[in-house]
Amino acid sequence: MSPTPDANSQKLLPDGQSATVDTDVVQTSAPSRQLSELPKDELENLAEEFGLDAHAYQSRQHLVAAIHERRQLIASMDREAMLDVVKWGRRPVTANATREQLAVEIVRIKSMRFGGLSQAGLKVLGYLRGVDVHDTDDVPLLIRRLKRKEGFFTRLNRKRRSLIGSAVSRILGEADTAAYQFLPGQGEDPPDPASAPGRSASIKEEIEEAGLFGGITSRIKRSADQYLNQKLDEIEARIDRKLDEIDRRLADWRDKEVANRIRILKITLWASVIVAALSLIYSYINVYFVRR
Amino acid sequence: MFADDPFRFFRFFLGVVATVYATVITLQSLWGWYVWLAGSDRYISLVRRYVLVHGLRLRFKTFWGDVLICILLTVAFFILWRAQATMDYIQQLLHVPHPRR
Repeated sequence: MSPTPDANSQKLLPDGQSATVDTDVVQTSAPSRQLSELPKDELENLAEEFGLDAHAYQSRQHLVAAIHERRQLIASMDREAMLDVVKWGRRPVTANATREQLAVEIVRIKSMRFGGLSQAGLKVLGYLRGVDVHDTDDVPLLIRRLKRKEGFFTRLNRKRRSLIGSAVSRILGEADTAAYQFLPGQGEDPPDPASAPGRSASIKEEIEEAGLFGGITSRIKRSADQYLNQKLDEIEARIDRKLDEIDRRLADWRDKEVANRIRILKITLWASVIVAALSLIYSYINVYFVRR
Repeated sequence: MFADDPFRFFRFFLGVVATVYATVITLQSLWGWYVWLAGSDRYISLVRRYVLVHGLRLRFKTFWGDVLICILLTVAFFILWRAQATMDYIQQLLHVPHPRR
């Protein structure tokens, strides 16, 4: 993920007014520079990451104001709803990602298949796609507004990609896809696949979202990742087995060594006791029978 | 001196030569292990902990039969030692010349 400016720092509006934001926005690891100080290309890149069209704003100050407003909006969003959208869109994030990180991933989701997405998730998606969303909007209305926002040519292109996706899907066949899992954070174990919610993305949907080459590339990459992970797991299991074997052999060797030492000690003691007994008998005979 | 009593030679050999030899060899070996395991290297520290863990995992009941026999033999040895001392004392009381004298 590309770095975003630190939201914890005080944001300056174009007219020089300062504003403070919610602490959740602050947790990105970006340099603490003010938005207005950023170079133009960085500013445009940041705007696109937050789902804004940088070229739609007349001046630099307007763009800064829009980014600032978008960050305020993200900070006020329901985090659980954002996680719903991420799961629905199958974006790779950690479970403890910040709101801004989640928003950046949500913006990258281009899917128009809203099945399985909650109302709160639809609202978040609507906000980030620039749809006019109200608190009272129900699910069908939200979907209708999102579809209306898509535009004619974009929809046409999507339909075309969907057709290609269907054809490719028929040729290749659908592989089973695993349920969504969050990326493991630092020092965390991977989550249990059985308990992970979410839906599976098919090759058809991937081609529909990313185009023919993008979809196939994504599928090949995912297959390669799965193969690599499987091999790494096998290697790990083999190393574990070897370590267990070494440990077991060392324990056997230790037991044999200790048993051997005790046996030597026992033989020495037997010899000492036998010779001591013989010595005693010798002394007894010497005292009572021989010298008397 | 040893020609009169062959057991005296055995006692002397076992009590002095063998004990001193075994003690020196054991102490040398222990010192070598101590110096090696006391190293500050990361891997030596790992080995040190591993040896400790192996020591703690040692089960007494695996060797308890042999250990018990060793304890009993040691007790028997000390009893015989005490009996030998008593026999020497009786020899002095009866003024029986000892083969050693």
